[in-house]
Amino acid sequence: MTGRVQMALALLLPLAGCGEEVPPANRITGGDAAMGRRLVASHGCASCHVVPGTRWPRGHVGPSLVGFAGRGYIAGILPNTPDNLVRWLRDPPGIAPRTAMPDLGLAQDEARHIAAFLVDPR
Amino acid sequence: MNLQSAMHPAGPDGERIAALSWLLFGGGGAIFVLVMVLVLVAVVGGRWERRLLGSRRAIVVGGIAFPVVVLTALLLHTLGLARAIGLPLAGGEPPLRIEVVGHQFWWEMRYPGTLPDGGIVTANEIRIPTGRDVMLEVTSADVIHSLWIPALHGKIDMIPGLVNHRRIRADEPGVLRGQCTEFCGAQHAMMAFYVMAQTPEDFAAWLDQQRLPAAEPDRPILALGRQVFGAAGCGGCHAVRGTEWNARIGPDLTHVGSRLSLGAGVLENHRGTLAGWIAGSQDLKPGNRMPSFAAALDGQELRAVAAWLESLK
Amino acid sequence: MTPPDTAGDALRHDAPLPNPLPRPPDELPRLERIWRSPRGWAFPWTEVNNNWIGVLYLGTAGLFCVLAVILSLLMRAQLAVPGNDLLDQETYNQVFTTHGTMMMFLFAVPAVEALGVYLLPAMLAARDLPFPRLSAYAYWAYAVGGLGFFTSLFFGLAPNGGWFMYPPLTSHEYSPGINADFWLLGIGFIEISAIAGAVEIVVGILRNRAPGMTLARMPLFAWAMLVFAVMIIFAFPAVIWATVLLELERAFDWPFFLPDRGGDPLLRQHLFWFFGHPEVYIIFLPAAGAVSMIVPAMVQTRMVGYGLVAMALVATGFLSFGLWVHHMYATGIPSLSLAFFSGASFAVSVPTGIQVFAWIATIASGKPKLHVPMLFVFGFLFIFVLGGLTGVMVAIVPFDWQAHDTYFIVAHLHYVLIGGMVFPLLAGLYYWAPSAAGWRLSVRLGKWVFWLLFLGVNLTFFPMHISGLIGMPRRVWTYPEGMGLEVWNMLSTASAAVSALGVLLLLVDLARNFRMSPGGPADNPFNAATLEWLPQGNYAARSIPRITSREPLWDQPDLAEQVRQGRHFLPGTVTGLRETLVTSPVEARPQYVAIIPGPAWAHFIAALCTAGFFLSLTVKLLWLAGIFGTVAVSAILYWLWTGTDLGPVVDRADIGGGLCLPVYVSGPDSVSWWAMVVLLLVDGTVFACLGFTHAFLWLSNGDAQWPPPGMGVPEVAFPLGSLALLAGCAGLLWLAGRLLRQGRARAMGGVVLLALPLFLLALGLDLHAVWQAGIRPTLHAFGAATFANQFWQGLHGLMVATMALYLAARAFAGLIDPVRRITFDNVRIFWLYALAQAAAGLCLTHLLPRALGTG
Repeated sequence: MTGRVQMALALLLPLAGCGEEVPPANRITGGDAAMGRRLVASHGCASCHVVPGTRWPRGHVGPSLVGFAGRGYIAGILPNTPDNLVRWLRDPPGIAPRTAMPDLGLAQDEARHIAAFLVDPR
Repeated sequence: MNLQSAMHPAGPDGERIAALSWLLFGGGGAIFVLVMVLVLVAVVGGRWERRLLGSRRAIVVGGIAFPVVVLTALLLHTLGLARAIGLPLAGGEPPLRIEVVGHQFWWEMRYPGTLPDGGIVTANEIRIPTGRDVMLEVTSADVIHSLWIPALHGKIDMIPGLVNHRRIRADEPGVLRGQCTEFCGAQHAMMAFYVMAQTPEDFAAWLDQQRLPAAEPDRPILALGRQVFGAAGCGGCHAVRGTEWNARIGPDLTHVGSRLSLGAGVLENHRGTLAGWIAGSQDLKPGNRMPSFAAALDGQELRAVAAWLESLK
Repeated sequence: MTPPDTAGDALRHDAPLPNPLPRPPDELPRLERIWRSPRGWAFPWTEVNNNWIGVLYLGTAGLFCVLAVILSLLMRAQLAVPGNDLLDQETYNQVFTTHGTMMMFLFAVPAVEALGVYLLPAMLAARDLPFPRLSAYAYWAYAVGGLGFFTSLFFGLAPNGGWFMYPPLTSHEYSPGINADFWLLGIGFIEISAIAGAVEIVVGILRNRAPGMTLARMPLFAWAMLVFAVMIIFAFPAVIWATVLLELERAFDWPFFLPDRGGDPLLRQHLFWFFGHPEVYIIFLPAAGAVSMIVPAMVQTRMVGYGLVAMALVATGFLSFGLWVHHMYATGIPSLSLAFFSGASFAVSVPTGIQVFAWIATIASGKPKLHVPMLFVFGFLFIFVLGGLTGVMVAIVPFDWQAHDTYFIVAHLHYVLIGGMVFPLLAGLYYWAPSAAGWRLSVRLGKWVFWLLFLGVNLTFFPMHISGLIGMPRRVWTYPEGMGLEVWNMLSTASAAVSALGVLLLLVDLARNFRMSPGGPADNPFNAATLEWLPQGNYAARSIPRITSREPLWDQPDLAEQVRQGRHFLPGTVTGLRETLVTSPVEARPQYVAIIPGPAWAHFIAALCTAGFFLSLTVKLLWLAGIFGTVAVSAILYWLWTGTDLGPVVDRADIGGGLCLPVYVSGPDSVSWWAMVVLLLVDGTVFACLGFTHAFLWLSNGDAQWPPPGMGVPEVAFPLGSLALLAGCAGLLWLAGRLLRQGRARAMGGVVLLALPLFLLALGLDLHAVWQAGIRPTLHAFGAATFANQFWQGLHGLMVATMALYLAARAFAGLIDPVRRITFDNVRIFWLYALAQAAAGLCLTHLLPRALGTG
């Protein structure tokens, strides 16, 4: 429920122009971190990555996602900006053909939610 | 929620046992309260009650006569119930036979007679038609496991060298969960499976689909995946019907893409989790029998093999 | 040996007190000196007195309990939230296995046994149990071995197969590490230590009661301990045998449990639960007995339904051997036999119902005071009755199919064991502490301990009924989100912390208020009726009271004072050694004064080395095991040589009341003979398990595979030859007895040395016969079973050889004569048993396959 409320707020906020009650991550990425958390869980990202706040599973196939906001580059290729992160999430092999990370068929808004979560998992 | 609960039955036997359970909880609760009230009366009761309770006769009535009567009645009731549970449910039609073999730490399901030379083999899920008796014939390939689908029936042990039977039936289409209930080693906790009850028509359609050999790759990445599968030695443990691989150590992967879960009810099943499982199965389910393949495959190969397996619907 | 005729008069309630005043001035100091505990650095290692050994035993059991509780807290922390990673799966599996194993084998059984060792002599007014060094040996082997077992956890070597260790999971293929061996060997000798205690308790209860304490006047706790010990004698052999088989399979690849070579994994389950179910009652009955002592004292009235309760205890003992299959409802056993076991499981709840209503009746007919022990009794009734009711539920086959191996069972078994054993034990602790420490534990802290534990236990385990039924199997190191399990598990974990606080407070109370002082301030704070509340020293009561009722301290006014003044039997020492009075088993008429041993090192060294032997065998240090084994056997032989069979030190002992008793008795009246017979019951039960193994594996394989193709049955000449040798050996033993009666002890020794090779030859011949018939232990379960028999017979060959050489040495040393012949008698009984067992073994090997018609 709160997730939906937050999402509604996130959609409204750019119009209202008052940022104090909106998590900065949501503002930066245009997604909803809480929604992102659920998408990360349902897509099983933790089977390859250590995901903040998830005790099991803790995959080590890909890099840990803890402290992702502080990372300089995505996959060692793209500068770690919100837009690049969304691009990467939507089609990793398109950006790095030899990557192990598959294209999970994420929609644009799904990728934004996940990006918001990665920027600020809390 | 409640996919794996004995108190939320989804079939006639599960319902009978749940009804029995409620009877026992009600009766047991009443007796418990009665005994505690007697203890209370023994402490704070009036003269008359305490004298009544303090006699040898009270012991004979409360400690012998009462339990003998109640337990005899209960025994007769449950023997009748146990007999009813053993009788066929749906008249006429012979039950559908499914062989279930326990492995450390996954389940192999075989549908004998569904192919000219045997039957289809799947893993970690049991598909059954609704409204028809299904006879599970269970055994084990290694240690003792126990099969438990609480919503449908109680558990039955899977013992190497022995075939046990458990008759189940589901009334409505839906997904249920089952789990291993005999401690079987490191990953006993992660040895689960799903039961998918389908209408007879859907079930027949699923069976037809499963009878087909594995689909041929129709995209380059899938072809690469199939090639990687062979090169990495996956065929040393797994079978894919319609290919040269027919080993029986791990699950049959002919239609792995159509399954509900990965790693015996542990993960959702899609190319992402498939890739994670193949590369790091020991991260996800430490102590299971499949090695992590991260060292043997490069990124693109991993992605390809995961994509190919996902395409095996 | 017949009891003196005068005993009847001296035991009458209106006879004058046995010994007049004033007593000789040096009588009491002499008694005190002889029974003094060892001083300085010899304490407590050489101590054998039951007061000290009993309390040490209890304390050690308590230590293991606390350690196992800590393990349980680790598990609860891991399960607090789904998908937790506090413990990994391997650690978790070791932790839960160790928790269960320790609670059952290192806490529950030893704790109740310790309670018996501590209380029984005082309660029966014996000076000590008949074999104090055996108790001390059992205690030290247990303490050292148990600590070694626990330590394995720190090296990641603890067993990880669950406390019932089902093969094939625990077979070599699926458990190649030595973890499983730690269970098998580490627990193996704790089983032996429990049996040693049981022998002691059976003989002590039947032969060391106060004069006049007939069976019908015996305290209910003694009844409970008697049934307890008899149950150990018949139940533990099954688990010992199951342990032996699994270790033989693991070490030598003998496939008892491996179906691809004719074995059957269910064999282990039958053997284990034939022990495992009685085990529950083995733990519960002494606790129930303790409650039957505490309740009358608390409400200041006689137990209502004494006879019914005693009968219920015996009935429980019998019935509990008929229910083992109710742990195996899901194994696919035919429904007809399931119905039988279901009915038997119901039946066993009747004697328990009798006891519950007897306690209620007793409470109702007295005036209950809410002392701390009584609080724990109420807590016991609440928790135990609830656990008993869920026990009836899981006895019902269809319900058990759901509940089995889920958290419902975890809840049930903790309700039964905590309710049925821990709460009574705590009641007992608060009740009897004054008898050991001289004063009571804190009432204020006691009430806190009670409420914390009562609430903590209920709120920890009640939710588990629910989590089990909604889908949580037991023995899972984690569980997934979203199955509705989160809230119940969090509740269990939080409440476990509350219980832990209770345990902590209990330890604080003990640390602050418990100081051992046998012979210290003696009073009877609860005005109880039984003899353990007499004024006590290390020697128990100063003089051994003549008993005329079930509640002597209520019915015999001034008894305490008379006993303290030395006016009852045996007020001092006759021989200048430690003594106790031996009475007849039913009527408790004085029969003789038995000399019992005092402090020594030999049994302590033997115990250390026994534990060391098994532990070094586990870690495969064979040379070290060899050293430990040799030292242990030498120490035991030294202990026997110097400390037993002392012969008639004095002619007659005047114990007062006109009773002049012998101080040395041989044959069926001697306690030593009784102990040997009890031991043979244990031995015979193991052999019965061996027979069961053959029968079960034959049934599981079918006639055509028994023997399997490729293995034959040896020619009939071989077993006939073995039989002839066994018969010859028996004849020589008869001759030896004759020679001894004629006073020709040395000739007897020679004949014994002649008989020994005949016996060994008989065993060797059979081994040869089996081998040349192509039977091999590793190829098929048939061979494994045949060689299990060879193994067992060989073990007896070794024991008989040791005993025969010891006997011959005693004979040549002039330590045996027609009167002083207990050593001879015991060796001969054991030997004759071994001969009979060897003959029965020949039938198993040669007759059974032939009788099946395929041989």
